[in-house]
Amino acid sequence: MFSFFNFGKKKSASVAKDRLTIAIMSDRDRTNGYPFMDEMKAEIMEVVQKYVGVRGVEIRKEIDGELEALAIDVELDKNA
Amino acid sequence: MGIVIAVISGKGGVGKTTATANLGLGIALNGKKCVVVDFDIGQRNLDMILGLENRVVYDMVQVMEGEANIKQALIKSKVSSNLHFLAASQTKDKSVLDSKKVEKLITDLKEKFDFVILDAPAGIESGYEHTIEFADAAIVVVNPEVSSIRDADRAIGILDSKSAKVKNGEDVLKWLIINRIVADMVESGEMLKSDDILEILDIKLIGKIPEDKGVIDASNQGKPVILDKKSIAGQAYARIAGRLCGQKVDMKNVEISDAGLFKRIAGMFK
Repeated sequence: MFSFFNFGKKKSASVAKDRLTIAIMSDRDRTNGYPFMDEMKAEIMEVVQKYVGVRGVEIRKEIDGELEALAIDVELDKNA
Repeated sequence: MGIVIAVISGKGGVGKTTATANLGLGIALNGKKCVVVDFDIGQRNLDMILGLENRVVYDMVQVMEGEANIKQALIKSKVSSNLHFLAASQTKDKSVLDSKKVEKLITDLKEKFDFVILDAPAGIESGYEHTIEFADAAIVVVNPEVSSIRDADRAIGILDSKSAKVKNGEDVLKWLIINRIVADMVESGEMLKSDDILEILDIKLIGKIPEDKGVIDASNQGKPVILDKKSIAGQAYARIAGRLCGQKVDMKNVEISDAGLFKRIAGMFK
């Protein structure tokens, strides 16, 4: 049953759990948006660009228990 | 007014159609009026599992298109007069589905039956979205295996965004069936435990179905496995059907094999 070689080796079910947890988290990140995400991105970019150069805008929907938030990252363009 | 339950999965081949047939029959055997509808257009299969493939005259697309009325298209089960079946179209493709027509069909069925069970095509196809749009609840079928679980998560995501109930600010009920559990593999750590799957998918469990050769034997004959009182999968479906009908049925732990116990008993007679 427990051969010397198997000793300390992780059982495949727990490997599966770890891999699934990570894969599903990244799947959800990608799909858990709103359909208007791209439009909103463009508008935010437009507004900020009035004042300072912008390289890109990234919006993520983040869920932490009951709390839902939009995390908006605006990368500035130093050369602009 | 009946409840509409979509039976869904991410990938195909996890036992969705088998679950639909057995739960439909199980509900009917509990005395409730139930209709099972095959929404997998172009890949009709539920008729075979129910043993009704020779009775199909009109399909659900013909009903939606007004070429036949519901009464003409509904096929009564040979086993229970409470169970009716509406076949998928074998010839048309999935693009024939249209939200308004689907809604009308489902509304009509809800008036006639206590339970309307929809066998969805595998997730992420266009036919899938039409199946879940007007459902009050979804039963998600997975196998304890990575690709089935990952794809189920995506199918649940689509359910949460496309369901008419969710769009109206209500909740769509979601229950999980874990199908094809091999107890000794779970015991030896080679198969995911149900607790782990529930944690990953964040969904309520409605039943666990053990792997059972009787399922194929039953589908060979067109007699749903729930009719085989000795089958462990059949018994598991009967428990789920009871739960759906509002009975309190304890969750049986099908993740413990009786091999250990059997060996001990056998040892006593040596």
